[in-house]
Parts: sequence; C-alpha cells; structure tokens
Amino acid sequence: MRIDNELIKNEVFICAQCHYCRVCPAYSVIKWESTSPRGRVYLLKGILKGEIDAEITAVEDFYKCTTCGACEVVCQTSIPLIDLWERARAEFVEKGKAPLPVHKKLKDYAEKNGNPYGEKREERAKWAENFALSESAELLYFAGCTASYRMKELAVNSVEFLRKAKMDFGYAGVDELCCGSPFLRTGQREIAYEFFRKNYEIWDRMGVEKILTSCAGCYRTIKRDYKEIGKELGMDWDFEVIHISQLMWSLVKSGEVELEEFGEQVTYHDPCHLGRHMNVYDEPRKVLESMNARIVEMESNRENALCCGAGGGLKSQFKDLSMEIGKRRIEEALNTGARYLISCCPFCKLHLKQASGGRIEVVDLIEIVNKHAKV
Amino acid sequence: MIDHIPQRSDLTQRYLYSHDIASPPIISKFFKLADVVMQPENEDDVLRILLYAKEKKIPLIARGSATSGYGGAVPYKGGIVVDFSRMDHFEVDEERKILIAEPGAVWWDIERKLNKLGLSLRVYPTSAPSSTVGGWIGQNGYGVGSLAFGSIAENVEKIRVANFEGIVETRDLRFYAGLHGTTGFVVKAWIKVKDYEDLNAYAFHVDVEEAIKIAYARKHYSALYLTRRYLEMKNMVSGNEIPEKDTLVIVTAEKLDGDEELGEEIWNDRFYPLRIRRAGPGVVAAEVLIDAEKLKAYLNSVEGFGAGTEVWFLKNSLCSVLSFMPVDERDGRSVFKYTFSLKALKEAKKLGGRVYSTGLYFSKESKSFYENFDELLRFKKSIDPENLLNPGKVFPSGSLPIIMGFLEVLS
Repeated sequence: MRIDNELIKNEVFICAQCHYCRVCPAYSVIKWESTSPRGRVYLLKGILKGEIDAEITAVEDFYKCTTCGACEVVCQTSIPLIDLWERARAEFVEKGKAPLPVHKKLKDYAEKNGNPYGEKREERAKWAENFALSESAELLYFAGCTASYRMKELAVNSVEFLRKAKMDFGYAGVDELCCGSPFLRTGQREIAYEFFRKNYEIWDRMGVEKILTSCAGCYRTIKRDYKEIGKELGMDWDFEVIHISQLMWSLVKSGEVELEEFGEQVTYHDPCHLGRHMNVYDEPRKVLESMNARIVEMESNRENALCCGAGGGLKSQFKDLSMEIGKRRIEEALNTGARYLISCCPFCKLHLKQASGGRIEVVDLIEIVNKHAKV
Repeated sequence: MIDHIPQRSDLTQRYLYSHDIASPPIISKFFKLADVVMQPENEDDVLRILLYAKEKKIPLIARGSATSGYGGAVPYKGGIVVDFSRMDHFEVDEERKILIAEPGAVWWDIERKLNKLGLSLRVYPTSAPSSTVGGWIGQNGYGVGSLAFGSIAENVEKIRVANFEGIVETRDLRFYAGLHGTTGFVVKAWIKVKDYEDLNAYAFHVDVEEAIKIAYARKHYSALYLTRRYLEMKNMVSGNEIPEKDTLVIVTAEKLDGDEELGEEIWNDRFYPLRIRRAGPGVVAAEVLIDAEKLKAYLNSVEGFGAGTEVWFLKNSLCSVLSFMPVDERDGRSVFKYTFSLKALKEAKKLGGRVYSTGLYFSKESKSFYENFDELLRFKKSIDPENLLNPGKVFPSGSLPIIMGFLEVLS
C-alpha cells in the first residue's frame, strides 16, 4: 500500500516510540501494540518504508481507537496524532482497505437520509414540533443527529433554555444535515465534504452568522473541520461557532440568566471533542460552580480525561470494547461519590448512561441548567 | 501452541514486537521477526512458556515496554517475545517501605500510588511514564535519584526469577540484574521506597567543573547537567526560551540559591529528552558511564561532533552521559552519522569510561562491563545450555559483536 499524505510522511519518523501514549483507552483494554498509538505509528512508518503492508487485521486494529486524543496530550514529540489517525484512515479508505463494514453502512444511511442512524429525514425535526421555530435568524441552533433522533431531550432543553434567555434564533428543521463528524473520524471524507456544502448552502440562505451546537462532536466539526474544509475548497468561512456550555456561561456571567441553586455533589466528564480537541474545559465547570454544585473531579480529568469510549466510530464497529471503556469511566465517576455524572455531549450521555447500568445518574449540563434557569 | 495465554502470531504483531526505540540502519535489516508474541498473565504462564520453549528449543525474549535502545528486547534470531504488560500488579508494604511489583508494572503508575501513601520511589528511570519494573532491572539502569541511591539493583531487596530450572527467590542480584533476561525472567521484585518529601529544583549556569563541585558538595537527591547545545536543540523544537547556557539542575530537600523557576521548568521536562527527535526527524544517541573527573574531557570531544548532551550525576562520582545528534533517518546518506554512538564510546573508553548498557548492540563490551563476566558465563551455561534465554544479548554470539567491533575501529 502506498501512503500519499504528507502529514503522515513527515510525522511518523518523528515518533520516539517512547510509549507514553500507552494512556490510550483502547490499548489499556486490549494490550496489543497494534492498537497502541505507537504501534499504529510504527505500522505507518513500516508501510512507508515498504517493510510491511496493512493486513486486514492491522486495519481493523487501527480503527480500535476513539480518536479521543489522549495520546496527543502526552506525546513526547508533539505529533498531531488526532489528525494523523484521521488522515491515515482516509488513506486506508482511498486505497480500498477500509471503511469497515459498519462504518460503510453508516455512510450508506447518511447518503440516503442525511443522518448515520438510518432514521427518516422527514422525522429529523419531530422533537421541535411544539416550538414553531424560526427558519431564519443570525443565530442558528444546530441540533445534530444524536439529539435529533436519539437524545431528543437535549435538543428540547436547549431550545427551552434559549427561549428562557430570550434569545432570537433559528433552526433549519428537516433541512439540517449531519455535520459529517462520523465520516471525518472514520476516513470517509467525501461525504463529509458533501454535507459541508449542503449545510453551508442552507446557512447562507437563512442568513446565519453564528452557529450554536449542543453536541461536542458537531461543535468540533463545524468550528474546526469546516474551517479547514472551507479553506481547502476556497470558500469563505466566517461563521462564528459556539458550544452551548460557552453560551450558558456567558449568559450567567453577564447576569442575563439567573440559575437556582443546585447544591448536589457532581462530577464532570470532559467530552473529548469539547475538551482535548477544542480546549473548552472551564465554562461547563464555571456554570456548575455558579449554581453551588459541589464538583468532585474524577481521577482523570480535563486534558487527561478518560474518553467515554463512544467516539471515532468505535461504538458502532466495536461495541464490546466501547462499552468496556465506558464502564471504566463510570468506575472513575462512582469513585468520586457524586450523585450526578454531568457531560456536555449527547453522544457521551447516551454511551455513559448505557455503560452505567443505572449506578449513577448521567445527565447533560443543559438539562440541569434549563431546569434551574429562572424565567 | 500453549492454551489460555494471550498470544498473537499475525505478521503485524510480529513486526510491531520486533524492535525497541533504536532504529539502527543496515544491520537491523538482517534481524528476524518474532515468531509469536505471548502475554503471560501470571507466574504459572511464564513457567509454561519456559517449558514449551525448552522442549521446542525456541528463543525467549523478555519485553517490558521496549523503551531502551540497546536491542535487549529485539528478537533478532526470532523466537517468542514474552511481553509482560499483563503482569503489572503491584502492592506496597507501607510498614516496611517495600514495593512488591510484577515485572510489567509501570514506574510512574507506582510513583503516583506511593505518593498518595506518603511514600516515593528512591530511583526511577527518565522513561518512567511508560517503562517497567522488569525492564529497568533487566538493564540495571540509572536515573532520577541515582545520585543519592545508585542504580535500581542497589535498591532491590530481593527478586523472584523464573527460568528453566523453575523459580528462584534471591537477594543476590548479580546473576540477574543488568543481564537483559538472559539468565531468567524477573516475575516479582521487592523494591525499597522512601518517605515522600517535598523537593525543589534549582538551576545554575555553571561550567562542568563547577557543576561537579555543586552536585557532590552535599547530599542531594538528583543532579542533571544540560549542555548549551542540547538546550539549543530543545528550544528549537519546542519553541521554549530556556537560556542557552550550560545548566546544572539540583533537586534537593535543601534550600539553595539557584534559579528555582528555571530549575522547575527543566525538571518538569525530565521525561522528555527525545523531544529533539523533531529536529531530525530522528536522533542518534550515545550513552556512556564515565568518572566525574573525566567528564570535561569527554564532553569536549562529543560537543566537537555537534552533539547536545545531558548528564545525570550518580553516586560515587560516576556520571551517566547521554548525547544526541539529530539525524534524518529517511535520508540514506545519513547512515554514517550513526557511527557517532561508536565514536563517542571510543572517546569514553580512552578516558576510562564504558558503555551504559550492553544488550544486543554492545555485547562485545560485556567482558569489561561486567566485573564477574566469567562467573556469569559459567552460570549462563549451567542454567541455559541451549542459549535460549534472549540469545545474542550480553553474552556475545554470532557475527554481530564482530561487526560492531569492526565498525568501532572504522569510526
């Protein structure tokens, strides 16, 4: 197999093979080098040197990674590993070694319905039926696929909160399409570019200037990936993108929204796409602090937080591994003695709730905040 | 093969478990890949692997985290790589201040747990975030704390070893520590730890002679000396702005009048000497042990090659000296730069120094490296007559020692 990507060609030779990246949640469970970040880098280097080809088992193991970025934080030689994994997966797809079967199925669903869940396009905005939301505004609420189809309470709470805060905002309804995150993470870049074009067109038509997401994955994709894609395609990209945790903090800080006391013992799970990928660590904690919540940090937190186990296509393709990582995170949460495990991402909430087996209450920050926002 | 022991023999795994952190050009092309990788989960598994290998006459290569560059974990003749990563349990006898660890336990995991108990390791390697108890004992390495406490072997109370003769528990480490698993596999180690104490790091811009005086003037915990060239390289790749001057860092419980802020900055980076690979991409390293009074002469010679150096001051006026030269391993013409390791060793030997470790690449040095080499050789032959325990390491065999000797002369 030939590797053409320049980032890969340059960076893999910098790896010191020091194995500080053993913090990888997937490797911690599996314990085989083919799933460790350094093993994956060494494999890429071996392919470049013509010493080995990417066997099917190697490609499968390469995908046993949530792209959480824990490896990038500890990398001795500062390799941009998240980008490296995504670019390597794209190479595997281009060279016919991937996608893996379930990832391919998600793409087929998305091509047909605009979401990777195989749900009907016309049902995307069902959660918003009672809201009569505007179809044009400077501020757009982008619900994302998970909140639209699987965790509707997050979209509902977000909109209720925006109304309480007297925000003027719009929603694209059934015109909203998947942001493309699952496909960028699994190397199927083409369809993500298509979603970029279509979403961009709709936002342009609606007169959008600012995009608000309640999903950490959508936030990362629209703020970071779309900017890059726009540049690559020679399109102007001047949308401001914010995550709802940032908006909440900004409204609380300015006094525009007042929150009732929430004096519970809680622990906060940093979603990888919000924390490590986008450096948003403080705002969710500040919102909780402003409500007098007693935050007890888990053993691993902030940039060293353990991933929930769902991202990077892991949950869809390797359920058991994904669940094992989720259970480890739940153990960390239980060790804090907190009553609530709070996160800021529908995908994290969905997965951690499943992994918790009901042993701890898993909620999204927007649910707590909306419930305690004074009208 | 052997039931119920995690193992893999697909080409990818064999490839990934057949190297360590070094990338020696040309010679590594002649190395074989591991035939299979096994991950024992307990002592019984290790004994079963030993029995199987003896019966089938297959080499066994112990592997911790493969974070060294001496080839000790490289299965260059093929065989079974025994990866100890699943045997990573450890516990602490707080009363006796003894750590009891399996070989795959990682030093920094241990230190974090010890700190919670008000204890601390006496010594740990500068690769502590990933390197293992078994690996470091196998190398008998020096590192952080070695100024006060010496090598790891000096801090081990006893070890439990598995080899073809079964299980041995011994306080006499001479036949096992620093022998890269050629005489048996450490399956448990009892290691002395100390009370936790708040340590401060102080930086001093001094020349090497002054650095030696300060390092050995009082009983400090650790002392690290970085040359100007090394700091230049580090700044270049990291964007840091550490003053590019020869710098000594003393880590001690005492109050000193050095620069504490700079000392902490450098100390916090102690696990990251390989950041400078970005300058190559890649580095060629030379690591020697040399007496402090010869350090200046040695540094003059390696700096002459354009290398940057970090020096760890050790107990008894010994220094562990690690020098780096950036090299682009993608560039075929850079192959000659790898002789730097041998040139530096030659210079060190002229000054009475020696290689830091033997492993595969420096087994030719073993006769002078180990004071009791003849005794070790007799022991090796008695417990491993077929030479199956990590063959080619420590005890010279085959053509590699001759090739390395020849290259040293040429360099």
